[in-house]
Amino acid sequence: MVKKKSIYPYLLVAPALIIILCVVFIPVVNAIGMSFQSYDLRRPNDIAFVGLANYIAAFKDELFWKALWKTILWVVFGVGFQFVFGFILALLLNKKFRGRGVVRAVSLIPWVTPGILIGLMWRWMYDGNYGVLNDILQKLHIINKSIPFLAQANTAFPAVVVTIIWQGIPFFALMILAGLQGIPGELYEAADMDGATGFQKLFKITIPSIKNTIFITGLLRIIWVANSVDVIFNMTEGGPAYATQTLSVYVFNKAQALNLGYSSAMAILLALVLCLVAVPYLIFTFGEEDK
Amino acid sequence: MKKRLLAVLLTAAMVLGMTACGSKSNSGSSDKKEEAQSTDDIKECTIKFQYWADNTDYSSLMQDIIKKFNEENKYGITVEGEEVPWDGGGYSNTLFNAAMGGGAPDVATFKLSATPMFTNNNLLADLTPYVDAWDKKDDISDNIYDVMKKAGGSDDSLYLMPWNIQVLYVYYRPSIFKEAGITETPKTYDEFLEDIKKCTMDTDGDGKTDVYGFGMRGASGGQEPWGSFIYGEGGSFDDLTSDASVQGMQDFIDLYKNGYVPESATNDGFNETVANFKSGKTAMFIHHIGSSKGMVEELGDDVDAFIIPKGKGQWTSMGDTETVMFDSCENKAAAFEWMKYLATEEGQEMWCEGTGQVPVSQTVQQKDYFQNDKFMKVSMEGVDIAGTVPVKDTTTEWISNWPATISQALTGEITAKECMDKLDKALNE
Amino acid sequence: MKRESFLKRFLTLYLPLIVILLFILFPFYWTFITSIKPDTELYGAVTYWPRQVQWENYTKLFTTTVNFLAAMKNSFIVAAVTTVVSLTASTLASYAFSRYRFAGRRAMMALFLSNNMFPTVLLLIPLYSIMRNLGLLYTPWALVLAYTTFTLPFSVWLLNGFFNDLPLSLEEAALVDGCNRRMAFFKIILPILGPCLVATGVYIFMTSWNEYTFAVMFTNNATRTIPVALKSLIGQLGVDWGLLTAGGIITIIPVCIMFFFAQKRLVEGLTAGAVKG
Repeated sequence: MVKKKSIYPYLLVAPALIIILCVVFIPVVNAIGMSFQSYDLRRPNDIAFVGLANYIAAFKDELFWKALWKTILWVVFGVGFQFVFGFILALLLNKKFRGRGVVRAVSLIPWVTPGILIGLMWRWMYDGNYGVLNDILQKLHIINKSIPFLAQANTAFPAVVVTIIWQGIPFFALMILAGLQGIPGELYEAADMDGATGFQKLFKITIPSIKNTIFITGLLRIIWVANSVDVIFNMTEGGPAYATQTLSVYVFNKAQALNLGYSSAMAILLALVLCLVAVPYLIFTFGEEDK
Repeated sequence: MKKRLLAVLLTAAMVLGMTACGSKSNSGSSDKKEEAQSTDDIKECTIKFQYWADNTDYSSLMQDIIKKFNEENKYGITVEGEEVPWDGGGYSNTLFNAAMGGGAPDVATFKLSATPMFTNNNLLADLTPYVDAWDKKDDISDNIYDVMKKAGGSDDSLYLMPWNIQVLYVYYRPSIFKEAGITETPKTYDEFLEDIKKCTMDTDGDGKTDVYGFGMRGASGGQEPWGSFIYGEGGSFDDLTSDASVQGMQDFIDLYKNGYVPESATNDGFNETVANFKSGKTAMFIHHIGSSKGMVEELGDDVDAFIIPKGKGQWTSMGDTETVMFDSCENKAAAFEWMKYLATEEGQEMWCEGTGQVPVSQTVQQKDYFQNDKFMKVSMEGVDIAGTVPVKDTTTEWISNWPATISQALTGEITAKECMDKLDKALNE
Repeated sequence: MKRESFLKRFLTLYLPLIVILLFILFPFYWTFITSIKPDTELYGAVTYWPRQVQWENYTKLFTTTVNFLAAMKNSFIVAAVTTVVSLTASTLASYAFSRYRFAGRRAMMALFLSNNMFPTVLLLIPLYSIMRNLGLLYTPWALVLAYTTFTLPFSVWLLNGFFNDLPLSLEEAALVDGCNRRMAFFKIILPILGPCLVATGVYIFMTSWNEYTFAVMFTNNATRTIPVALKSLIGQLGVDWGLLTAGGIITIIPVCIMFFFAQKRLVEGLTAGAVKG
């Protein structure tokens, strides 16, 4: 660790910092400013400073709490299962077998597919009248009547969660695979000589060696998924009856309706909630570094 | 250090916020009426035109029209066309964001439901002086100008130039009508509801419904056909809480509850209702002439249409497309020449023939192509009863929340009365 | 090395692999056959292979106003340039964060993380103004700038995670041997960091490849990227399924091929490098 004062690190950080400050800083500050005003572009003459009114309105808004709850479920199940399947896939892709290169390449497909296509394709597969999923389930005699997955409030949410899981598996698989490359083979050989089982090797060597990678990819993915709009929007636009409206979709819908003050306030609240997740991570990481 | 940073940020935010608000309401021109440039003043110039295209054929068609205008107009005006995705209506937001950011085109295609956000921010040019000075202005019926003026929120100023309209009517399958024993199309609203029930049939005897009487559209855009049911019982958008309006809603709910429409109705949007009709799953559905070409291609003679039948009231939705001119345009007279070309001259004829949409120009309406098309005739029958969802600044949000509220009512989560109370509050507050 | 029995290998490798691959690939398969089915076949009983195969959607993509080739070129240029710029800036920054301690470090790291917590839809109007004032509107540079800005924070943190997992012993050994920091970076760290750079590079590339919200605002017909071109296939009259799915397939395949070559860099790193001693 280099502790003496030098300008070197500042030089290294400069390009990244300058870009971010120049491009994003002003719009973000502008948005924060909007959240304290009755900023509705449909009624621009009524724009005025209103203090915390937007925030108070959000706390009283039933849809806000419903959307927040949906976001929590969305993140827990979406990221959770993306991680599990991605991790398994990474372990599998780390082994040697013929055609591994091709398999690694095609595993990337959900990530390469544009969001608009993912939303529409899954919507088509879930379709209650012509969808292939209903067709398969009926042929396997698991159900005998088509289920309009995206039209029913109780099946729509699980359906979009499955789609986001599908989309996120390659991200985790790739990141964890990269992390796995950094584990020295000697550790496994030593464990084999001690007679360790597969599970023991997994929990005592693999996972601890890549824990930083796991934490950071998990956190980044949580932030990304919490803010993602395009999959849900293209599949259900937040319906039916708000069943799939996560907070980010709600913010998006309000912003499209030009009520920028209210949607900025909700966006900030969402960011604060995400901070609750990020802060323990920051404390943990900075704490670890000090050891 | 972090604390100081935070404090600085917060103050900056407040300051920026308040200055930003100040500058926004001063952008765009004030209420003063500009003197119209006369046509003698038109010099050679470039007009930036933005539009969306519903498919690749229409996209080529527009490019052809632009080319023709550029070649044939006597002023040396060059129109540059830019195609922007429709994006389910996101087109209006993209256009708005660009205009607010200072990058508006000169002329753009437009949907009247988006008017308030543009006029409230003084982005559009008032076309009245140009229309008044135009010798062919009566080619477009007064009713249409009135609808445009109402949407713009003023009786004197005209911000939207009519381009084409699409009148919603009821498509039906003659073969299914025959099988259901219906000999003529319904002439009243009550007969219409009856026919829907008759057409819901189990054709292969397996106990499951194979054909549904009506393809209900519960997803976005569904408020347009839905309006006809409200008016059929004598209700209206001006008071959605009246007994008549609530009865119309109840009719709608009953259709869903009793299985006369597909279960997927709460999520069925345009794609789904078209697909269901084409495949024979539904006997009727409401849409406009824009889809007729595809229908005929798929179903040949086994598709026809009738106008929304009269009940205690009669109303059908008028789809619309207009053109607007932005106040930031520097060559307004030249831009108006282009808008005229699209609305009444060769541009109108080429576009309406190519897309099958109803012309606003009465001269073009009289041409053979339009007089000989059965769907065009049904559309023209409906012009007198056609209207739009009231265009207020609550409309855009009301439209995007409509599916959620309706599906709560259809699934029984809320009653018809509660649903109408919610909708009325959101629209007319 | 012990030879695993075939059964064991089947259960622990092939079976789970096949199950996961089936889940991943089925939608792709479905997209593909939708693109070669005639439209009429879509609205009826479900068929698992088209009764009639037609390729005209693919030709239409390139010969009509969709002009997909231009969109692909634009997407590729924007994504590639963004990847280079963003990866360079973020590697430098995260190396600094990981290996140095300096005043303001934690504040900057926190700033980077919080940058992405804000939804982009609310930043559109001011960003559009900024791009316009910089004269970058409707050029690929507007997107490169926007995408770099939004991929930097995540990349910095990703690489930071990878850096932190790399044992310090390698660098220390090199320093003891007489290298200065810069040489240690290029000769020891960079090769081992290879897989992580590939992974982060892929993340940056994908993010710019798939992005729509900025693309639709900052590009015009000539500079539009693939997501914008695909959205234009959805008009008021509905989705052009044939063209949309064909466009999707054409988008997916080249990138997968590119990644096939890139993934060779994902080879076991440390055992290869450290043995030299």
